Amino acid sequence: MNFSLDPWVWISALLSLAIFSFLYKDNPFYKFAEHIFVGAANGYAVTFYWHNILVPSLFDPLFRQGKLLYIISLIIGVLYFTRFIPKISWLVRIPIGITIGYYTGASIPAGIQANIIKQIQGTILTKENFLSWHAGNMGIVWSLILFLGVLCTLSYFYFSREHKGVLKITSRIGIVFIMIGFGAAFGYTVMARVSLLIGRLQFLLGPWLGIIK
Amino acid sequence: MKIVDLMLKIDRRIIYLILAIVVILPLIIPSAQHVRVMAPVQKLYTAVDTIHPDKALMIDFDYDPQTQPELEPMALAILRHAFKKKIKILGLSLYVQPLGLAKAALDQVTGEINALAKTNSDSVIYGRDYVFLGWQPPPIVPILGMGESITNVYKKDFYGNQTDTLPLMKQIKNYNNVELLISISSGDPPLWWVSYAQNRFGLRVGVGCTAVSASDYYPYLQTGQFSGLMVGMKGAAEYEELVEKDLNIHKRRKASEALPSLTYAHLVMIVFIIIGNIGYFIKRRQK
Repeated sequence: MNFSLDPWVWISALLSLAIFSFLYKDNPFYKFAEHIFVGAANGYAVTFYWHNILVPSLFDPLFRQGKLLYIISLIIGVLYFTRFIPKISWLVRIPIGITIGYYTGASIPAGIQANIIKQIQGTILTKENFLSWHAGNMGIVWSLILFLGVLCTLSYFYFSREHKGVLKITSRIGIVFIMIGFGAAFGYTVMARVSLLIGRLQFLLGPWLGIIK
Repeated sequence: MKIVDLMLKIDRRIIYLILAIVVILPLIIPSAQHVRVMAPVQKLYTAVDTIHPDKALMIDFDYDPQTQPELEPMALAILRHAFKKKIKILGLSLYVQPLGLAKAALDQVTGEINALAKTNSDSVIYGRDYVFLGWQPPPIVPILGMGESITNVYKKDFYGNQTDTLPLMKQIKNYNNVELLISISSGDPPLWWVSYAQNRFGLRVGVGCTAVSASDYYPYLQTGQFSGLMVGMKGAAEYEELVEKDLNIHKRRKASEALPSLTYAHLVMIVFIIIGNIGYFIKRRQK
């Protein structure tokens, strides 16, 4: 073993072990590491916002370069803090309204185009879609399964009629597709979490303990 | 306690212990595992490989320490590929947390290349071959703004240089000069790029994502909205394989090294799921 001599590696490794200790049970070491993480993350974000956003994008232009129009942004931003003063807390609706208005306007047309229209186009049985699977003649089969899956899954969420007859059959098939979707999502989640564990163990066994290169 | 009860009530600490053993052992005693490259990763590799010399590759580094093990190997592999092919790179982050990791990845790969370079043209030089634009909130604003002018959105780069003075930025004005964007991300940014940059400006988008996001993102690959997709550590290992085989770049393959541990961990999970289900069905029959 070739232990690291870098104190930062030691701090990082000990904090990692403190977090892992939660797997046994909740304990003061875990709490200590958790609080350090929250504090450090917030401190980093606040200082970064201050030095990289507020100062160069608002305070410098307003107070050093004399661009008075920026005072509008400052006032709108300050209105967020009126939430702490009950008598004028209603003023917070102004910046919230501006933010929601901007994002809604920007995201509705873009979201409909990218997430609905294009996705519907992807389920239509066309030659382009068959080829998109890169699976030769099997592309037709995959497209057909996708087409049926979408229709059956949608029929499962159709609640305006009792699920009887044809609707019962399609909704049952829909459940199968939904379950396969959940299974895939769960499998991928396991893969992601194990990957994170591997990453941390690579650090502990490598830079800290020097067991692996 | 009956064996059925044992099957249903395995102490979670035993599961964690077994999982730790099967993950640690393959790391200490490495074994080669064949990496089979799948179509989504091959597609992404080809998209990078065929970038026109006059155009740039934009990389959105949006991973933080929580997702670094999955996404950092992707970033390193793509950077090695792009710099080897002399593709111009613009780097950026849509969140503040990834900046340090993005800089570290760029420093590592440019350091590797410059250590072997013999001439000025072999070297990778900041401002000429790549630029790290840094971060500009909120995310939608720079995504939309760069369609008009990149230097107007990022007036200064990550290091504080005026972007309009950098030689590369005189060639790369907006998305018309960017052939492909790769979003290496653990969250929604790939969808933002598709919604705002692709829909409005026609930017091609490739994605490297965590495994958690994979089932959400495959539909976008099928519709052609993504020009390639790398999923989790497995996807990163596939890209590493392509970079090593095709470009003869032999560097540490962190994702590929982790694959045996990943495989054994999955097998353990499968075994425990089967044990739990057998126990459940036996118990139900007994009732």
